[in-house]
Amino acid sequence: MKNILQFLLFFILLYLTANLLVKAFSFGLTLDSVALTLFGSEENFIDPLSQASFLEYIHTEIFFIMMVSFTLSAVYIRVATKKLINAPLVSLLMLSGLSSILMLGLAYFVTPKAIVFYLGSFYLWNFLLAYMTLYGLWRLFFAKSL
Amino acid sequence: MDFGGFSLQKAYKYSLLYFLLFSFLLLISSILLFEQKIGFSVEAVLTYYNGNEAQFIPSKSSAGILKIILPHIFGFGIFFMVLLHFLLFTKLRSSKKLKFLIFTTFIVAFLELFSPFLMIAGVTFFASVKLFSFVLLELLMLYLFWLLVKAIVYE
Repeated sequence: MKNILQFLLFFILLYLTANLLVKAFSFGLTLDSVALTLFGSEENFIDPLSQASFLEYIHTEIFFIMMVSFTLSAVYIRVATKKLINAPLVSLLMLSGLSSILMLGLAYFVTPKAIVFYLGSFYLWNFLLAYMTLYGLWRLFFAKSL
Repeated sequence: MDFGGFSLQKAYKYSLLYFLLFSFLLLISSILLFEQKIGFSVEAVLTYYNGNEAQFIPSKSSAGILKIILPHIFGFGIFFMVLLHFLLFTKLRSSKKLKFLIFTTFIVAFLELFSPFLMIAGVTFFASVKLFSFVLLELLMLYLFWLLVKAIVYE
């Protein structure tokens, strides 16, 4: 079981890296690049993202954020020590994931200002994901008892 | 098992609640997507898959449908497995109702995924099957969410 969980966390780490790279090259990871992807630019002849494409994108994002967060939480809860197994961290991971989805929807449909909150939530989710994965790996490799 | 006042079981309950919240968003986005791309009428479903010359809408090919359903086959399988397996930890465990729910959910999901192939083969009746199975699947999901929330709160 230990080896399975080690590989699972390793793959989550790979997913995290690949996801950041894909986002950097396609969707954007800065205020300007995300705004450009969502709303296009007449000056640069870039079309805005269509509603159907946006819904497809967010539908996929919900599924992946949900599955990755939930799988990682299940492993983290199992391997964390007394101090670190706490509701706030798991809640923060889930809430930042939920918030990134909701804020992206808000940015597209209501106000572009929400892109700031989308990026904030997105980076927080990625940071927590990285921390929990690395901590889980450390526990699985070096903890004397689990 | 207690971890400094926060039981392992309670921790799992928290993450399950969040999982249900995500699932609810997934359900909402799938309804919006269906409405945006296909439409909630038998005619709209037929037009989307079989095309319409007057409206210059091309019909879908088998390869095109396969490309759309490919990630959904895996997604449905894993998602419903996760969702339904939680019911094994509730009072419904080993009940006939749970067995019925498991079979109904997967069969309806199968029909939702594969009915377009029969539609483009000329069996237009499957437009109704596609629409009905989509709506039923969403309702089943809502019912499963309700069962799990009830179990988290009351059991």
